[in-house]
Amino acid sequence: MSKRVIALVLVVMLMGMMIAGCSTTSTEKTKVGMVTDSGTIDDKSFNQSSWEGIKRYEEEKKTIETSYQQPDNEAETDYLNAISDLVDNGYNIIVTPGFKFETAIFKAQDQHPDTTFILIDGAPNDGDYSKAEGPTYKTGDNVVNVFFNEHEAGFLVGVAAALSSETGKLGFVGGMEIPPVQKFGWGYVAGIKYANDNFGTTAEVVDYIYEGSFNNVAGGQQIASGMYDKGIDIIFHAAGGVGVGVFSEAIERATNGQNVFVIGVDADQYEAGKLSADGDKSVTLTSAMKSVDVAAYNFIDAKLAGTFPGGETIVLSLADNGVGLPAENPNLSADTIAKVEEAKQAVLNGSFTVPSTQEELDAYVK
Amino acid sequence: MWDIISSIVPLSLAYTAPLLIIALGGLYSERSGIVNIGLEGLMGVGAFAAAMFTITFQGSLGGATIWIALLVSLIVGMLLSLFHAFASVSMNANQVISGTAINMFSTAITIYMARWLTGSSNVQIKRFFIKTDVPILSDIPIIGDLFFTKVYTTTYVVLAIVIFSWFLLNKTRFGLRLRACGENPHSADSMGVNVSRMRYIGVLISGALAGLGGGIVIMTYAKEFSQLTYNGLGFLALAALIFGKWKPFGILGSSVFFGIAMTVANMSVIIPSLQNIPNIFLNTFPYVVTLLALVLFSNSSIGPKAAGEPYDVSKR
Repeated sequence: MSKRVIALVLVVMLMGMMIAGCSTTSTEKTKVGMVTDSGTIDDKSFNQSSWEGIKRYEEEKKTIETSYQQPDNEAETDYLNAISDLVDNGYNIIVTPGFKFETAIFKAQDQHPDTTFILIDGAPNDGDYSKAEGPTYKTGDNVVNVFFNEHEAGFLVGVAAALSSETGKLGFVGGMEIPPVQKFGWGYVAGIKYANDNFGTTAEVVDYIYEGSFNNVAGGQQIASGMYDKGIDIIFHAAGGVGVGVFSEAIERATNGQNVFVIGVDADQYEAGKLSADGDKSVTLTSAMKSVDVAAYNFIDAKLAGTFPGGETIVLSLADNGVGLPAENPNLSADTIAKVEEAKQAVLNGSFTVPSTQEELDAYVK
Repeated sequence: MWDIISSIVPLSLAYTAPLLIIALGGLYSERSGIVNIGLEGLMGVGAFAAAMFTITFQGSLGGATIWIALLVSLIVGMLLSLFHAFASVSMNANQVISGTAINMFSTAITIYMARWLTGSSNVQIKRFFIKTDVPILSDIPIIGDLFFTKVYTTTYVVLAIVIFSWFLLNKTRFGLRLRACGENPHSADSMGVNVSRMRYIGVLISGALAGLGGGIVIMTYAKEFSQLTYNGLGFLALAALIFGKWKPFGILGSSVFFGIAMTVANMSVIIPSLQNIPNIFLNTFPYVVTLLALVLFSNSSIGPKAAGEPYDVSKR
């Protein structure tokens, strides 16, 4: 008897919740959703930056309401399911950060023609690399692809590294060998060459490697240790979790009094390089930043203002403040900062073009 | 060549230590008759506990923080394993299901708690162990370079626990009883051994050591707790346990083997003489060898006979 009463109460409560749930959806605000690529929404990296851009828009303009989905896995179907969930719940702008969404958006753009997609760091394609001409690319009118000139940020940190290195030996640790990571690396090498040519440094890249993943923390530490043992004193990492290991090794060595540095990626990683909680010493020389939040913010704004560049591929460059160095770089000397600024102006006024492919880099370095 | 060896061996020992201690945890549990597939989850809560303790007390407790943090990771790992013990010993539940539940629960709760307590799922610590050279011993030629330079103190703690475990399991009454519960619980029971109690102890030690392993990961090479902490070390430990034939020194050997193999694979990209070998061979090498070993030695299966079966008095 009592069990039945409890069951009845539960049913009534459940129905009440459903009714309450329905009533809250009748607001005028546009719903903006996001799907995380790998990792969590607060990964202090790519997902978090995108999400911060969306949240900033929500707080400033108060015309949108936001939510995100974290898929259980990283397969295309997981992404498609997450997107469908958001669409079914009335989200008509969806931000997807990361190249891993390329194939999912390729399908989703047709499945949900009334939904707007902002794809960061990728272009929708069918992922079929077996064809001679490569995969089929298609960007619908409801999609905008946002890319960054990572090589320009890489270039600036390369100049800074060449000017700051004491041993003249530099290293690069990339994660997976994918375009955004490669472009950081190519720009870095070009920046070092630029500094050698124009500022009289004699720096060289001793190790230039791709670890092959973004999550091997132990591997990152071991690689960094091997590099520092070779006399390399500055490592530029574009490798997510592998970079956590690089920082780990650099912090240990700096604590023991060794002069080693790391160059961070995507966001300002000065905090990640701090040796202790209260001290102000950090192993982060500077960071090659990529303003993912600006991308999310601007294109939500464009959609709501009716100026959404659907079907287009937008590249955010140094000139757009889409990439660059942090505002504060306590580990760079005033002289270095001045010279990096000089190099930056050369890029901005067009007197120097940073190589953005392997071929262009080879031609420049030769 | 010597340069390569002397740089790889110390680094691989740093990576071996947590693997070894987690595998040893698995050994206690399986020797008592309880399969513990939840090592990964137990490692995760240990790592989380160590990270949370450290960021909370790193300012006030000073240098002692790192040791207390390891103790905390050990205790929290033990507490979580209590669930496994309760489900699989008291409730006679399926041990694989219970262990899997621990893994799933641990990933979710730690990320959630980290986010709730610190505002981010990534918890970076600022007090940790640093690789150092052991005075005097590091000056010994060859051996000094390999085993006493650039080591974390925790590596020696782990080794001490392994040696103690060998003694405990093989030379004491307690060890004999624990192993009896894993081989033939009915005989053990008939001789007056409290099987449930021994199995509880086995699982709790296993949780404590797995938690400690997680703590060591955070306090030595990772220095940051995040989703990446769950990278399969607990499952690799299970492989090390099987490959090491459920013996303390066996898993010492298999863990060192895994540690060196993984380090060689990781570092091959910056070692000129290894750069020509495709990375996939080096990365899969330890697992291929484990599979081969399992196939070759499957006839002389050496695992505890009663591991995985709930103890049922009525079957005596």
